[in-house]
Amino acid sequence: MSEPSDGDRPDAALTIPRGTLLRSRVVSDVGTTLARALDRELTGYATLVPQETLLLSGEARGVLTFADGVPVLAYNTVTDSGGPDALAELAVPGPYRAELYAVDAARLETAHETEALRVAPAAAATELADDQALAERTREAAPDHRLRATDGDDDAVASFLADDDRIEAIREQARAEARDRAAEWGLDGALDDGAG
Amino acid sequence: MVEAFAVASGKGGTGKTTSTLALGMALAAEHDVTVVDADTGMANLLFHAGLDDAAVTLHDLLVTETATAVSEATYDRFGLSVVPCGTSLAGFEAAEPERLRAVVAELARDTDVLLLDSPAALGSKSAVLPVVLADRVVVVVEPTIPALSDGLKVQEYARSYGTETGGVLFNKVRGETDDAAAQAERHFGGPVLATVPESDAVRAARRAGEPLLAHAPDSEAAERYRRAAARLDVRDGDGDAVADRFRSAVVPDTP
Repeated sequence: MSEPSDGDRPDAALTIPRGTLLRSRVVSDVGTTLARALDRELTGYATLVPQETLLLSGEARGVLTFADGVPVLAYNTVTDSGGPDALAELAVPGPYRAELYAVDAARLETAHETEALRVAPAAAATELADDQALAERTREAAPDHRLRATDGDDDAVASFLADDDRIEAIREQARAEARDRAAEWGLDGALDDGAG
Repeated sequence: MVEAFAVASGKGGTGKTTSTLALGMALAAEHDVTVVDADTGMANLLFHAGLDDAAVTLHDLLVTETATAVSEATYDRFGLSVVPCGTSLAGFEAAEPERLRAVVAELARDTDVLLLDSPAALGSKSAVLPVVLADRVVVVVEPTIPALSDGLKVQEYARSYGTETGGVLFNKVRGETDDAAAQAERHFGGPVLATVPESDAVRAARRAGEPLLAHAPDSEAAERYRRAAARLDVRDGDGDAVADRFRSAVVPDTP
C-alpha cells in the first residue's frame, strides 16, 4: 500500500485512491477524528501524523481507512508497517495532524480485501484514542463479520511490547521528567542516587 | 510494619481502587492491612467501601492545627483498617500534601501492610508522594498501549525515588493476553501478578458500595486478585525503621 494517490500505480491493488478532503485539523485527541468518522459513517480514510516525535525513531504518517465509519486498514507510510503494527507505531501521546477524506465505497473495495493490513474495528479507539466508550460504540457499529473475523484485538499491544527501543525511549523520557519535576517540587532529596 | 505499597496506574479508569481493596482483603487473610485513599484530589475509595458518610477523613488529617487524631479517620471495614478521603474541593484545597508523610508514618506503626490508593496522575507533588513514600509499587494497567505507556512511566517515576516494582496487575482484560503479559514482564521490574477479567461482578460490587471480595468472593475476578496477593510476597521489615523513614527521609520539614 502506498500513500493515497490517483490510483494509477502498478500496485493499484494496494493503493488507496485519493479522496475528497473533508477536514484538516491539528487535534489534541485523535478520538475527535475517529468519532467524527463514525458519526458520519464515513467511507474513506484519515491521515494521522503524530506531532510528538520524541518517542519515534522517525516520523510516522498513518493512513486509517474506514467503511461506514468503522476502521478497516491501518498503515504507516514511513515504515511500511501495516495492521496492528502500524497502529502500535502511531499510538503516541500528544496532538496529531488529522485529515479526513471521503472515497466512493467501490473504489476502496479492493484495498479493503488486504487482510494483512486489517485492524480490529475498535483497536484505533482503544490504542490511539484511549477511549473505551468510543471503542464500544465502534464495535456496535461494526458489521458482524468484522467482529467475528477479528479476535486479535491485542495484536497492537503485543507489537508495542516487542518494540524494545520504543519502550526504552518511554522509560528514559520518564526518568528525565521525574528528575526535572523532583527539582521543581523540592523532592530532589528523596531521589534515589543510584537511579541515574 | 512490614511493607507499604502504592497502587498506581498513571491514568484513570484502570480499576485502581477496586484493585487496592481487593488486594487488601486478600492480604488481610494473613496480615493486618490498612488501606489509605491517597488520591486526595479524586477520592473514590469511600464509595467502594460503603463509607460515603464518613464524618472524618484523610482530608481532615492533612490540614494543620485541626488536632484530629489519625484513629478518628480510620474505620474498620471488611477486615481492613480503611482511611477514606473526602471528595470536597474545599477539603482538597485546604490539605497540605506533605502531611501525608506524617499520617503514613503513624499508620505504619501498627499495621503489617499499608496500601496507598494513588492518584491517576504524575503531574503534581501530591500525586507523586504516595509513590515516593512506598516501599514498592503495584502498577495497575489495562492491556492497551496508552495504559502500558503510562504504567511504564509510573514505574520509572517510582524507581527514581528508590521505590521498586512489586508487580503489574493486568485489569479489565477481554480475551487472552498471555503473550502480552509475558512480554510485559520483560519491561516491568516485577512479575505480572494476575490478569483480571473484565467483569460484571466488579461493576455490581461498585454499585453496592462493597469491595469485590466482599460482594462476589466466588467470582473469577476475586480469585485472580487472591492469586495476585499471594504473588506479592510481602516482606518482613522493621516497623520502627519504616516509620522513621516516612517521618524524616522524604521531604525536609518546613519550619
